[in-house]
Amino acid sequence: MTLSRRGFLNVAAIGAAGTFAADMTRFDMLRHSAWADEAKKQGKRVILLWLAGGASQLETFDPKPGRPTGGPYRAIPTSATGVHISELLPKMAARIQQTTAIVRSLNTKNADHGGGATIMETGRIKDPGIEYPDLGAVCAKELGRLDSAVPDYVSMYTSTEGRRKGGSGFLGSRYAPMFLSESMQPENIRRLESISDLDHQDRLALRELLAKKFTQNRNSDSLGSHTQAYQRVRGLMASEKLFDIEQEPAEMRAKYGPTQFGQQCLIARRLVEAGVPFVKVARAWWDSHGENFETHRELCADLDHSMSALLDDLKDRGLLEHTLVLTFGEFGRTPGINASLGRDHFAAAWSATLSGCGVRGGACFGKTDEDGHKVADGEVGAGDLFATILSALGIDPLKEYHVGARPVPLSDFGSKPIKDVLI
Amino acid sequence: MRWILRIHLAALWLLSTVISASGAELPSADLPIEQVIDQFTQQRLDAEKVSAAPQAGEANLLRRLMLDVAGRIPTSAEATAYVANPSAAKRVELVDRLLASPDFVWHQRNELDRMLLPNKPNDGDFRKYLLWAVKENRSWEAMFRDMLIGDEADENRKPATTFIKSRARDLDDMLNDTAILFFGVNVTCAKCHDHPLTPEWKQHHYFGMASFFSRTYVTKKNLLAERPFGEVKFKSKRKDDTKGEQTAKFEFLTGAIIDEPVVERSADDMKKIEETIKAAMQKDDAPPPEKPSFSPREKLVEIALRSEDNRFFARNIINRVWDRFFGRGLVHPVDQLHAANAPSHPELLDWLTRDLVAHGYDLKRLIRGIVLSQAYSRSSEWTAGSQPPDPALFAVAKVKPLTPRQYAVSLLIARQSPDQWPALDKPEEWIARREQLENGSNGYASFFEMPGENFQVAVDEALLFSNSKRIEDELLRDSKTEIVGYLKSLPDNAAVIEAAFQTICSRPPRDDERAAIDGYLQSHSTDRVAAIRQFVWALLTGPEMRFSY
Amino acid sequence: MASDPTKLNKTKDIGIPSIAMCVARIPNSGRLIFGSSDFKLHEIDVFAEKPQSTAFGGEGHQSYVTGVVLPTPNVAVSSSYDGQLIWWDVEKREPTRKVKAHELWMRRLVISPDGKTIASVADDMQCKLWNAETGEMLRQFSDHKAMTPHDFPSMLHAVAFSADGKFIATGDKVGHVAIWEATSGSKVGTVEAPGLYTWDPKQRRHSIGGIRALAFSPDNKLLAVGGIGQIGNIDHLDAPARVEIFDWQKGERKHELNNDKFKALVEDLAFDPASQWLLSSGGAGDGFVTFVSPETGKVIHQDKLPMHVHQLALNEASDTLFAVGHHKIVVCEFKATDPPPAAPAEAAKS
Repeated sequence: MTLSRRGFLNVAAIGAAGTFAADMTRFDMLRHSAWADEAKKQGKRVILLWLAGGASQLETFDPKPGRPTGGPYRAIPTSATGVHISELLPKMAARIQQTTAIVRSLNTKNADHGGGATIMETGRIKDPGIEYPDLGAVCAKELGRLDSAVPDYVSMYTSTEGRRKGGSGFLGSRYAPMFLSESMQPENIRRLESISDLDHQDRLALRELLAKKFTQNRNSDSLGSHTQAYQRVRGLMASEKLFDIEQEPAEMRAKYGPTQFGQQCLIARRLVEAGVPFVKVARAWWDSHGENFETHRELCADLDHSMSALLDDLKDRGLLEHTLVLTFGEFGRTPGINASLGRDHFAAAWSATLSGCGVRGGACFGKTDEDGHKVADGEVGAGDLFATILSALGIDPLKEYHVGARPVPLSDFGSKPIKDVLI
Repeated sequence: MRWILRIHLAALWLLSTVISASGAELPSADLPIEQVIDQFTQQRLDAEKVSAAPQAGEANLLRRLMLDVAGRIPTSAEATAYVANPSAAKRVELVDRLLASPDFVWHQRNELDRMLLPNKPNDGDFRKYLLWAVKENRSWEAMFRDMLIGDEADENRKPATTFIKSRARDLDDMLNDTAILFFGVNVTCAKCHDHPLTPEWKQHHYFGMASFFSRTYVTKKNLLAERPFGEVKFKSKRKDDTKGEQTAKFEFLTGAIIDEPVVERSADDMKKIEETIKAAMQKDDAPPPEKPSFSPREKLVEIALRSEDNRFFARNIINRVWDRFFGRGLVHPVDQLHAANAPSHPELLDWLTRDLVAHGYDLKRLIRGIVLSQAYSRSSEWTAGSQPPDPALFAVAKVKPLTPRQYAVSLLIARQSPDQWPALDKPEEWIARREQLENGSNGYASFFEMPGENFQVAVDEALLFSNSKRIEDELLRDSKTEIVGYLKSLPDNAAVIEAAFQTICSRPPRDDERAAIDGYLQSHSTDRVAAIRQFVWALLTGPEMRFSY
Repeated sequence: MASDPTKLNKTKDIGIPSIAMCVARIPNSGRLIFGSSDFKLHEIDVFAEKPQSTAFGGEGHQSYVTGVVLPTPNVAVSSSYDGQLIWWDVEKREPTRKVKAHELWMRRLVISPDGKTIASVADDMQCKLWNAETGEMLRQFSDHKAMTPHDFPSMLHAVAFSADGKFIATGDKVGHVAIWEATSGSKVGTVEAPGLYTWDPKQRRHSIGGIRALAFSPDNKLLAVGGIGQIGNIDHLDAPARVEIFDWQKGERKHELNNDKFKALVEDLAFDPASQWLLSSGGAGDGFVTFVSPETGKVIHQDKLPMHVHQLALNEASDTLFAVGHHKIVVCEFKATDPPPAAPAEAAKS
């Protein structure tokens, strides 16, 4: 019997569907709490603007004008009554009340790039016995769909300094980020010209057909993930255009501006709009040991414009109430100004912002002392920030994963969400 | 130095030195390992009224043995010859041949490397040491000494201390990784909350272990050294603590304590020693520091290996080797060797412990016993209809994801034309080929994720295979020496299908597969090479290739 | 000629609580007026036995004070990041006039040799000329783009008058210098010093540097441009202090001087009225001063200073420098005690 091409595809398609159903039951062990399922239904998304190298809280969201530590820039009023931020962020100042909550009382204790980044990526200190997933992987797992046709964790980090991919730790590589560094086009997402689209599909269908018998009577989650990975290939290939901002009208591109960070924010919006649950855009490198004020003049202009454009665009599309936009990096910067008019690493009293989904716009939580050396009120750690982020997304921060016999709550032991910044 | 209390786990069941957990007498020490394994696994199956899966077919078993012992799939010729071999003893012969082959040396080296330096997969010197040690069939006990104590004067053994050196910057890393990898206990387990199941392990156990490493440092010239003095102090974080600051003793996990001989030193002497150490840590040209008369790490090795305290050390490696071949430890997870986490087969673990110690921690002997057992060679298919049984029964073989190295080497074998390999009667030719495969697989190995617990295949891998030029150019090349070129030269589709399955899957195709592929090749016959490529691709990317089953 | 850079000798080292950004000296005295990071102007007599600084009072600036000049010994004019120009009565230490001068942060203030015209520059990329007496704006001009080629806001740090007051030079972040006729405000020349601007497209993706100091030679022919050379790791001021000397009318670069001893930012430049030396000073973690021959570009003498210097003033004889900067004020003398060495024939001509 000769199968026609069309016929072959039909047979294969039936096979694929059957396998898929079987795998879904296998993945039952990965069952999610009802709460997380609820979050998925609502299509919650996260965009993390990672300020790599450590942005200065004093030149952004916790200015100390007129103090010896304050630097030359003024504080300007924002749309939220009584809340002032640095004059380097005028566009954000106009949007605080409508979109953004500020947390000014982070004390994350580790002012080393690597250690600080680990803490702020995973919401807890490094533990030699276990590899924790980062926020992106947790969100990919909690908010993503196993059969998603789009990537569920995209991480962009173009600058080379301090480049970190992030990782899914014990959650496994299913939740590892699609990592974009050199190019904004994901690797291996485009079909080679040497194979026709039809053959590419047929080949996958043949693979699936041959795999079906093998997987039928074998019980393994890893095996299921292998099947899933190949089933997602065509969908991901179709998402190629999501990474291409040329698909956007010129006016829209102009809104985000010409900087690479701005363009990446636009890609981030395209991704979340298409259903990608977690996008990280790293803006490196803020490590202003020398010329802190000039460095922040440049980088804050980039942040202010790109972030404002992103928030406006999300809002205009009705996405902001489902999309949480975050800013933080591995730590902040010293209140003390060094001889090179720089600021050094500082983790004892610094700021993060949360905008959009689940967030009380205009809320300003916590206080640092008058020179910014210490947290004066409402001290929170990375775990608390992560608990807040998860809560804003409708994910229970107390939910536990199990690593062997060991329970691991989504946000660190003892952490609590900051209620004041949540709706 | 102050350390946060991180441990709440008990090893009380290990504290009593009984031969058998149940109190019953163990089977004779003279029995073959495989027989004892089968006896105890069958006992448990009987007790649970579970019928194990049947034994795997010959082709399946060969493939599993090759991947597990040699780190690669068989060549087409090896697969054909094994099935055709009429000898009743062919499995034993195969295992003995493999264990004596260069394949085993490479693979065993790679497995030890990924276990011991999981975050530093390419430390050349350490890998060289492991290769030497495996070639020598060095006992696990001696390797432990090499890694923990070391001998800077011995060229072969010198790089072994990379195990400690690479962790020497962080006391927690030295202590935790040693405890996890050599003793099977994870002392970081419960950092912030009481473990619901495990009685609390006392803080002094943790700091006792820390004290064995707290004096260790690495000099500027990268020599492993120890200070002659220095104490670990700790304080309970509990609010009701009344003891205040305590000094840790040199205390092993079993509770055994070593007393350090008292050495009187003047403040001046101490200062001088501190200065020498400081210089050694900072300057290239500083003289190597004097070896102290009391070495805590040597003492740790001494206690851990002495008969009354060696149960952690012995059981851990048995459990880890078992886990490697069965995809699950007798104690599971492998870093939870404690009272609340009993072994699935306590008597078996006891018997194997006695056997391993009695035979000088010979891992090759242990591996041989495991892979000759019936428990090991069960089918991985569960067709009994009901839910698969408790994995702790080892009633059905586990499907195991290949390590990046296994997968990479196997892909390089599968992609070659089957006539490119040395004849089976010329094993000496294989030695160089195996080394080439090992070196040639570095690139591919770097693409894949190292499997751990709950391993999941990343979509990146599927995208790589689907769309990368490298895969097309290297694995699907239309050349005489490669599988695609070879298949192309065959007269008809039937021959193509037979040869492809035999080369890539180490088995003949089933009828339904023959029919499906034939249909595919016919419906894509306008470009035969392209069709063959697609077929080969479908096999190379299939689960049968990605997993050991 | 009374100066000899090789005799450089630090005679005063005075600690101050803030970062002094700018300085002007009351003629024929050790009285310095300096502006600082505490938003204030201060006066200090460095020749006093125990120098004490006294802050000016009244409603002053609202940010770092970045420039101060003295049209007369009793009138000071200051600029700040707050965009204001403030006139002060030096005796009373009170403000007398405030002018909203620029939209963005003001970076430097200089005064014409005749004391009548003040020039200011700011990050609005404008240079503005002011009547020093009335506070009236005379004109403004700019040849500096608001954005860098890499789409970040540019900055305008440097401005200088020529010795005869005829010309003004302005220099921006990306290394572009424009030379202007002071009376008409028309552009009479440009020079480019892109080597002072480091754009890191790959590792850190922002920029550092720019032109921080400008000085005309006494004969107006040469224009010295100061800053920092190309930086590998732009987290730090980690490149040689760099000065380029142009024959600006011909548009020729005569010297590119990368300091082999000091990795630092050049914050100030000054020519010897006798043209024997060009002084550059600035800093990173600490400070430096370097004297080079403007003719040969060779270093005559250089030394470390105990702080990052933000600006300096010279005395009438040009043999003593008063440097202000990071929590310190330092005085150095470099007086010729013996007859100065015979000048080379070439140099004598100029």
